[in-house]
Amino acid sequence: MNRWVVLRAVVAKSIIELRRYVFNTISGLVTMYVVFLLLFFGARSLGPAFSAGTGLEGLVVGYLVWMMSITAYQDLAHTIANEAEVGTLEQLFLTPTGFAWMGGSYMIGQFLVNLLFTAILLLSMMLTSGRWLHLDLVSLLPLILITIAASYGFGFILGGLALVFKRIQALFQILTFGLVGFVAAPIAQYAWMKLLPLALGNQLLKRVMVDGLRIWELPAGDLLLATGVGLSYLLIGVLIFGYCLRAARNRGMLGHY
Amino acid sequence: MLVDMEGAPVSREAPVLRIDGLSKVFPRRGKPPVRAVQDVGLELRAGEIVGLLGPNGAGKTTIIKCALGLIRPTAGDIAICDHDVHTRHGQAIQHASAVLEGARNVYWRLTARENIRFFTGLHGLDYRSNRAYCEGLLERFGLADRANEPLINLSTGMRQKVAVVSALAKRTQLVFLDEPTLGLDVETSLELRSILRELAAEGQRAIVVSSHDMDVIQDVCRRVIILKEGRVVADDTVESLLGLFRTRSYHLVLRDGPSPDLAGRLGAVATNLSLGRRGAQTELNFTLPSAEGLYTVIDIVRQAGAVIETIAQKEPDLEEAFLRVIRGGDAA
Repeated sequence: MNRWVVLRAVVAKSIIELRRYVFNTISGLVTMYVVFLLLFFGARSLGPAFSAGTGLEGLVVGYLVWMMSITAYQDLAHTIANEAEVGTLEQLFLTPTGFAWMGGSYMIGQFLVNLLFTAILLLSMMLTSGRWLHLDLVSLLPLILITIAASYGFGFILGGLALVFKRIQALFQILTFGLVGFVAAPIAQYAWMKLLPLALGNQLLKRVMVDGLRIWELPAGDLLLATGVGLSYLLIGVLIFGYCLRAARNRGMLGHY
Repeated sequence: MLVDMEGAPVSREAPVLRIDGLSKVFPRRGKPPVRAVQDVGLELRAGEIVGLLGPNGAGKTTIIKCALGLIRPTAGDIAICDHDVHTRHGQAIQHASAVLEGARNVYWRLTARENIRFFTGLHGLDYRSNRAYCEGLLERFGLADRANEPLINLSTGMRQKVAVVSALAKRTQLVFLDEPTLGLDVETSLELRSILRELAAEGQRAIVVSSHDMDVIQDVCRRVIILKEGRVVADDTVESLLGLFRTRSYHLVLRDGPSPDLAGRLGAVATNLSLGRRGAQTELNFTLPSAEGLYTVIDIVRQAGAVIETIAQKEPDLEEAFLRVIRGGDAA
């Protein structure tokens, strides 16, 4: 019961902040849309070799996965750094359900908001590109969760590092570009790359959104592997976060900024 | 009646906070470690309002943060309502709340109501069942009229009050207030002190107030714990601590100038002796080891041929008591 109340409080606060920072919210959406336009028209100018087949649809899906992943991993780390700076971070630890649940609640809230933004952006992208994708929610939602679970793992890792090192913005830039590599990983040529975060999940999402397959029509082995990969990175993230939290408490630096 | 999270009434018998043998050492690379807190022990019961006093670096904030589980101690046990803070943090923290950085402990872009709703929610309290209590606190702190304005539009004092209300709204048995009046103007500080006194008088919470402002502690707290270099050097009621010095410190005014050997003769029976001139008069301040020593002083002055205009027992304030304890360990 307590957990539900905490979740509700955290999600409600996220929504209030989105409304209060409405300019930031809208400008974030517009920026993502403009970047997509640049990518889309850039890709189309490469000629029929790229435009034909599923190249452009694949670009739309890949861009969506990349964008959701960036938002996912940056949210918690940004929040921790920001809360330390404004002076509220220590208050967030004074919750009977534990900080991990508070962080998890925050991520759930951000995931829901992220999903809403993705829907708006996807619709805009499909309208602009004229390429209509299959939007089977029953298949998409679990696949999105499986795929970006790894990004939430990175979020926990960076969040933990933010607790100890405070300023970690440089890592954001490295990871943001690193994620492009994961999304575009050639798993058809190198099977081991399926173990990379996002790679296999992105491939499965393409099969659903571009080829129109249902989740139960996907190869069971790939589905299990994608789930295992996503959860493994998430678990590693939570463990590293716990380690960093202990280190920060030992050094008495939770409230530092 | 104050109740815990399960609705059970608060016991006045069991300690709300128990700290035993608390030590915290911060290691530093290439430098000697900092011993922030050393073997501190204390107990607090419901209804107690305790002041934590000490110079900068005495360990006040470290003790509070260890008690809240925000800093892991090097040694010692801490329990809130019988729950170990470090092995059962969730259960322990159900009974505690804190204002650690004053107005910085709340979200300035949210309104007072939104802040309270968020922080009580974070504590697992459903706002609907707690609404009347929260509204009562807003009213009591004079915030009700502006409770729907983002805090960025409010004064520092009002934000500070929102931080205190957000902590109190959790209805915990133990409340830590670290420097609650820091940065407040005199009027707001007095107002906050008055409310804290009222809360203490209700007798259901245990409140720990850490402050540099001696007036705040003297005004609000019944018991005071003085820290020096991470150790407790005094733990007594404010009244007893003041009484310790009240019985021995005197201010004496002589009509004329002192005879040359007066200071030397008084120095043999009194300590902290100071001698000054005001116009034709001479002022003497001194402390005696016992109240009976005053008769000896009067004899010495009379034998020196001086005429006593007034004798007054000095009324020490907490600041003076604090300084004496810190400098000399008189009250330890």
